[in-house]
Amino acid sequence: MPKCIIDGREAEFTPGQNLIEVAKNAGIDIPLFCYHPGLSVVAQCRMCAVEVEKMPKLQTACSTMATEGMVVKTKSPKTAENQKSVMEFLLANHPLDCPICDKSGECDLQDNSYKYGSAYSRYTEERRTYLDLDMGPVIKKNMNRCIHCTRCIRFGSEVAGIHEMVALKRGNNTEITTIDGKPLETDYAGNYADICPTGSLTIKDFRFKKRVWFLTKVPTVCEGCSKGCNMEVHQDNNQIYRCIPRENMEINRHWLCDEGRFNFHYVEREDRLLDPARSKSGGLEVCDWGTSIDLAKATLDGKQIAFLIGSDLTQEEGAAILQFRSQHYPGAPVYHFGTPGVVSSADDAPEDRILKRKSKTSNLHGLEKLGIPGFTKLPKEITALLVIRGGRATLPLEIDGVEKVGLGVFMKDQAMMFSVILPGLSFAEKDGTILNYEGREQKLKRALQPLGQSKPVSEILMMWVNRKKAHGAA
Amino acid sequence: MGKKLLSEKFYSAMTTLESRYPSKVALLLPALHAAQDEFGWLSPEILEEVGDFIGIHPAQVREVASFYTMYNLKPVGKYHLKVCTNVACCLRGSEELVQHCEKKFGIQVGETTRDKKFTLVEEECLGACGTAPAMMLNDDYHENLTVSKLDQLLDHLE
Repeated sequence: MPKCIIDGREAEFTPGQNLIEVAKNAGIDIPLFCYHPGLSVVAQCRMCAVEVEKMPKLQTACSTMATEGMVVKTKSPKTAENQKSVMEFLLANHPLDCPICDKSGECDLQDNSYKYGSAYSRYTEERRTYLDLDMGPVIKKNMNRCIHCTRCIRFGSEVAGIHEMVALKRGNNTEITTIDGKPLETDYAGNYADICPTGSLTIKDFRFKKRVWFLTKVPTVCEGCSKGCNMEVHQDNNQIYRCIPRENMEINRHWLCDEGRFNFHYVEREDRLLDPARSKSGGLEVCDWGTSIDLAKATLDGKQIAFLIGSDLTQEEGAAILQFRSQHYPGAPVYHFGTPGVVSSADDAPEDRILKRKSKTSNLHGLEKLGIPGFTKLPKEITALLVIRGGRATLPLEIDGVEKVGLGVFMKDQAMMFSVILPGLSFAEKDGTILNYEGREQKLKRALQPLGQSKPVSEILMMWVNRKKAHGAA
Repeated sequence: MGKKLLSEKFYSAMTTLESRYPSKVALLLPALHAAQDEFGWLSPEILEEVGDFIGIHPAQVREVASFYTMYNLKPVGKYHLKVCTNVACCLRGSEELVQHCEKKFGIQVGETTRDKKFTLVEEECLGACGTAPAMMLNDDYHENLTVSKLDQLLDHLE
């Protein structure tokens, strides 16, 4: 591999790599604003300019490719002077509202200002200010904080495929906006906030909810569709505040769709059932675990039963259910369900040209690998159902007229159709393996302690089995 | 899409021009000029129609149209005064001209008189530094201006 020298350190590179990437691999951080590995290079913020031997002027590291024997200095006096000047220009108009800014704590401008800028401002003119028009339900804009890096514009036109964010006017009067305050059209709007290097674009849903340094970041996988995008769940005190994409160049690169990003809300919805309950004269009555399992058993025993399991369950849960079935209800058919119109993996296809897929559950392909067929219609002889789901799979409509036991995550209105509800866990409360559309195994990681009285599927089935034995003996 | 606002003439002119440009997007600037010639200014509806014609998002059209000062995004008066206030003209007294116009018409830079007769804007370099200060009145250049020369010029306008 060819080598170059950065800050006296030998750094290997593949031809075509720019200096920022080469330096990063060698453990050297070059400060930057407009460069983003997932977007085109425009070299307009000038922050990444470094000294390259035999070149008369500073070179922007994002647009300079490493060459054999190149000698680069990222910390020379000349480089430092440029960084300080760039910071001064960028901060000339930037408001000092970090204490109330959501980006504070994870802000490129803030971090680089501490590292490379000056603690004092020489600017005495009036700062430019803007009136911000609305940008739709996802993003809140604060143009005063903008540093014109144009990452959002490039994200729109290059990744989301829609040139809806634009830079109006020019120079000092530039305004990054949609036209006339039209709401953003793309389904990937959350990424605008992720890539913004300042607090100019923030997520409305997360606004003023939490300072970012209080959040515990749990690396997990999105359960929104069969793509299996990698993401981080950010929680504090057993409450999820947001989800953000986690880089995986082979699946979602740097992005996450809004559907996946905001999917977590159901986990803490007020009407989620967190206690075992039975339906009683049109309402629900909370009961204890022992009673509810007895009731569930009574509902199913002596009937022709089938298992309906959501394809939002993990491989481990799927395997546990299959084992439970073969030991305690041998011969009962097991079907998976998840998305209306998607019965098997053959129906799963890309929904758009970016990330989304048609199967709106995470583990359709995994359950199929376990040999579970998709649900289409109830066989006539079935008189009772055990329905097991996480929080994502859509309950099929064609299951009226039989007695049902529900195990998993249910909202109050969904719960009415079941005789008994045994509350289970959502994706954020459990560990497990899921298979995405390519058959790639990925791990869900537990971010929250189980809410309320909800329990893992395996534990509930275990209680069921043990109670069954106790009853059999009596 | 609703009824087309731009004339047949516009569309046939664009068809002729199209072959001269490497891509249809490159046709955006002449298309905006032609559209402005028809209406005197570019309304959001016109920008949208131009965007449809070129095949780009209307926001992208707005981006380009707002970048260049020669596209009017607001209606302008019968006489459009574009006074250069760049370095050379400033040194030769263009600020005085601007102030004089503001006083004379009772408007600020960027505004139009009530009778829709005069619009006053500041222009970046007109490329007439050798004959500064310079001003454009609609499409014509007026150079080596002084306040009295400007008055003379304006007083002769209908």
